[in-house]
Amino acid sequence: MKRVWKWGDAAVVGAVLLAALFVFLLFLPKEEAAYAAVYLDGTLIDTLPLNEDVQITYTGNYHSTVTVRNGKVAVTASDCPGEDCVHSGWVNTPARSIVCLPNRLEIRIAADTSDVDFVVR
Amino acid sequence: MSKTKRLTFCAVMLSLALVLSYVERFLPLQPLIPLPGIKLGLANIVTLIVLYYTDAKTAFSVLIPRCLLGAVFGGSVTALLFSLCGGTLALALMSLVRRSPALSVYGVSILGAAAHNVGQIAAAMLLMHSVYVAAYLPFLLIAALFTGFLTATVCNGVLHVITQRL
Repeated sequence: MKRVWKWGDAAVVGAVLLAALFVFLLFLPKEEAAYAAVYLDGTLIDTLPLNEDVQITYTGNYHSTVTVRNGKVAVTASDCPGEDCVHSGWVNTPARSIVCLPNRLEIRIAADTSDVDFVVR
Repeated sequence: MSKTKRLTFCAVMLSLALVLSYVERFLPLQPLIPLPGIKLGLANIVTLIVLYYTDAKTAFSVLIPRCLLGAVFGGSVTALLFSLCGGTLALALMSLVRRSPALSVYGVSILGAAAHNVGQIAAAMLLMHSVYVAAYLPFLLIAALFTGFLTATVCNGVLHVITQRL
């Protein structure tokens, strides 16, 4: 069994870090966040302006309560297993999203309403 | 390795992988690393051990039943899709680079952990019909450096023992 690190291992660490940096820069926000676009099962079902405080419950396979407060959006309550969406916390960075896989719900932050229609099928 | 030894080894490794992926659910990693959905990937230790101790074919024959049975024992269809996408991509890459003289088990393991996350994000992109899910990938890749290192450390220790005793 080999016990020592080899030069290739350092290259692997470097490559993974570079890949992470590349993807991070690819999704770096360019504009101010303005809307939270709500997708259920890949379909745009609602658009919430981040400057209006609101609380809405969306029902797919489960029930997710989405709250907009102080220019940020979060899933504040959900009956889905794991509740990863709730743990994602408050988000207001463009191109970032809160995803609830069990409920097929995605809340995507968008700069304006024109680019929320970008859905890959 | 004899047929009987191979069968027994696979059976033990499969049950070990199932137990590890079950136990993992009770390890609260969230307070330590605040990333939703993050896991240590303990079952990947088994994949790595089987790959190094035997061959890629045997490793796949342990991995696929592990994913299927894991879903039966309290996973979901979504979880199955995720573990299959991540697991097969990780193992495919690991079996490709394993023979590389430039890599130790650490490099192979980290590559596998990163491939696992890429596979899972790909599954999420398909499931959610959205490319923006990939914005989460950088955080998972950084986490993969640590989980991959941990997996390799355990695998290294275990292999050291079983190659002497078995």
